[in-house]
Amino acid sequence: MRRREFLRQSGLASTALFVPAFLNQLQFGKLQQRRSGKILIVIQLSGGNDGLNTIVPYRNDLYYKFRPSLGIPPEQVLKVDADQGFNPALESLRSLYDDGLVTVLNSVGYPNPDRSHFRSMDIWHSASSSQEYWNTGWLGRYLDSNCAGCATPYHAIELDDYLSLALKGAQRTGFAMSEPAQLKRTTENRFLKAIGQQHPASEDHDHVAYLYKTMASTQSSANYLFEQSKVYASSVAYPQTPFGRDLKTVAELITADTDTKIYYVSLTGFDTHANQKVQQERLLKQYADGVNALVTDLKQQGLLQDTLILTFSEFGRRVSQNASNGTDHGTANNLFLIGGSLKKPGFFNEAPDLTTLDEEDLIYKLDFRSVYSTVLKQWLQADVPDILGSDFPALALLG
Amino acid sequence: MPLRKAVDELFSQARKPTLLPVPELDLPSEPRMLDREQIQERQRMERQRVLESNFSWLQRMANPQEPALLERMTLFWHGHFACDIDNSVLAAQYLNTLRSHALGKFRDLVVAIAREPAMIRYLNNQQNRKDQPNENFARELLELFTIGRGNYTETDIKEGARAFTGWSSTLRGEYIFRPGQHDYDRKTFFGKTGNFDGTDIIDLILERKETALFIVKKIYRYFVNETGPEERIHALAQEFYASGYDISRLMQTIFGSDWFYLPENMGNKIKSPVELLAGMIRSLGLQFEDGLGAVFIQRALGQVLFHPPNVAGWPGGKSWIDNSTLMTRLNLPTIFLASAEANLRPKDDLTVKERSAGLRRLKATYDLQPFSRLIRQNDPEAALNSLREYLLQKESAVDNATIRQYIQATEPGAFLAQSIMRIMSLPEYQMC
Repeated sequence: MRRREFLRQSGLASTALFVPAFLNQLQFGKLQQRRSGKILIVIQLSGGNDGLNTIVPYRNDLYYKFRPSLGIPPEQVLKVDADQGFNPALESLRSLYDDGLVTVLNSVGYPNPDRSHFRSMDIWHSASSSQEYWNTGWLGRYLDSNCAGCATPYHAIELDDYLSLALKGAQRTGFAMSEPAQLKRTTENRFLKAIGQQHPASEDHDHVAYLYKTMASTQSSANYLFEQSKVYASSVAYPQTPFGRDLKTVAELITADTDTKIYYVSLTGFDTHANQKVQQERLLKQYADGVNALVTDLKQQGLLQDTLILTFSEFGRRVSQNASNGTDHGTANNLFLIGGSLKKPGFFNEAPDLTTLDEEDLIYKLDFRSVYSTVLKQWLQADVPDILGSDFPALALLG
Repeated sequence: MPLRKAVDELFSQARKPTLLPVPELDLPSEPRMLDREQIQERQRMERQRVLESNFSWLQRMANPQEPALLERMTLFWHGHFACDIDNSVLAAQYLNTLRSHALGKFRDLVVAIAREPAMIRYLNNQQNRKDQPNENFARELLELFTIGRGNYTETDIKEGARAFTGWSSTLRGEYIFRPGQHDYDRKTFFGKTGNFDGTDIIDLILERKETALFIVKKIYRYFVNETGPEERIHALAQEFYASGYDISRLMQTIFGSDWFYLPENMGNKIKSPVELLAGMIRSLGLQFEDGLGAVFIQRALGQVLFHPPNVAGWPGGKSWIDNSTLMTRLNLPTIFLASAEANLRPKDDLTVKERSAGLRRLKATYDLQPFSRLIRQNDPEAALNSLREYLLQKESAVDNATIRQYIQATEPGAFLAQSIMRIMSLPEYQMC
């Protein structure tokens, strides 16, 4: 019996809130072994999150020299290691870290970094070098590869009104929806429903056939995803924000055993040129609380082993603070992997080098495409050179 | 020869492009006195003005009084010489440049673009100085604007960049050549050596026939078909080269050819979001309550004027379509003609209340008067046929009987509105 059927048949769909946790675990314990798929959740921090005030090198004098008023005083840092600690707003991420569920990668970037938001985001999405312009994204090309289940229209879902480049392939694309109910509304046009049913997916490869096929599959997916979203109602407290709501939707869809392997969620507003502290810490808290709720939720369902959360931002920020108590666009940044199957929880590599800078910016030590390569190879069992264009060495990150 | 005559007319309309007045750049008298927040506030206001420029351009494209060919050509060059612009003065200048040369000589267009302050800033040519060359512009000039990959070396890029040193812009947004930053030494480009400057480099690139082929291929893909017979494209490229890169003549040849009108070349391309939107505004006589609504649609559909995703422009074709953009496209007629639908059963279609915040901005009025001549006769079947013929570039597989099941109105005005709404909702309406 699939998770979804179980929840249905036990009449829990509407009363899931009242199910004792032990019952959940008892029942799901058997089910989860039948679950074969690993889940990848990508969280994008848009605007360029200031990595140096996220993971703070609180023992480094240079850090305080570069950031006389913006640096976080050592006594406020949530210390987890002799050199580095978390921003005080990341309390709920620190607790995941303490449970061995977080790997922090420092100084992640790429050669010849671009400091434009759009361009750098493009590079992270497409996984191209900074000299190339690719029209497809790394996860889109994963969908193009002959992976199991990739033909399902909602194999990769982005919680947004429009789809990011990361999820666009040449043949297949991910699926965008801000929420299942909203998606369902866009497919309720009676006339479109009628012609969608009248012209089922054709094998024809021309553009018109593609439009009909996409329309019909969106219509049927919308119903499926809407139903899936009602199977399980999480009782965990998520932040009352769109980001929190998105993560809750993800947890609910995963728990309902939805045929989706990849979820893509964004949190925006990290472009902190002025008065950074308040804004960044508000966002970091939202991020940490949201992820903590997600992890708690999935853990209760016994699904944490099968989940990997990758968090990135298009670039970090300038090492020196600017005159407005903010920071300008920078280069290399930290990246988080969170989940129950990490090989090396904790800090994967040393803190960023603040002595050797390139035009006042950090020099990257790990290419982000090596992280993608690791995730593709070891988590999604995909063929890396096909997807990334060449074989970036995998890192010892996953079990 | 009626076809030739019609094509000639198309071109004579487009001969004299009317240019936009370029607004005075709003410069602070003491720029250094501005603090960071004031600068950011100014930037925000500028971005707002660019959105207004966006909307006025869109309306111009949709205006039946404007020469349609020139507008389409200008949009094409915007995607080709893709440039992200955050300043309304630079945007107006850039657009005037595109429009002035859109149907002129390709060389003039390339030279003008190389001197366009918006492009100079976008591709960092202000930082391209003798002692510290910046290759960004030279690289894209070769790779994306003229000859295409595989026809040049990294050395050509480096040497080319030296020739464009000192091509800069002033604070006021005017082109300026800074002799002190220019590298006057000898350069070797495409195997030739000389004291080349930027225009020499452009001439050397245009001397190569591969450049004509690269441009013709792109134009063919955009205006005719994503694929086409090799010999035809090579013949067009040959002619384009021989004419001294005369864009107007190339387009006249294309539109004057019988093959252009073959069924396989009609309605085979997916409209870009801007083409779709401009077409709907034109056909429906839409007047937006708030121009930002029209910009919002561009964003939701993945093409915002003045904001291409990167210097390679919009990839186009199938990449316009994903589940979300398609459903938005297909629902637009219902949104615009909502009052027509409201006469039916408002609950099960998209209604204003249920739409997300952005779509609420889409309040627009429409004017279907021009259509009424199409359905003078009191014959619904004939009316539908006329509307289909007028609105669809590609015949739809959905028959009139199916469409008529979703038209309840009998009163002529409401019937017209509902018919148009249904026909525009057909996936085939997305094709051009």
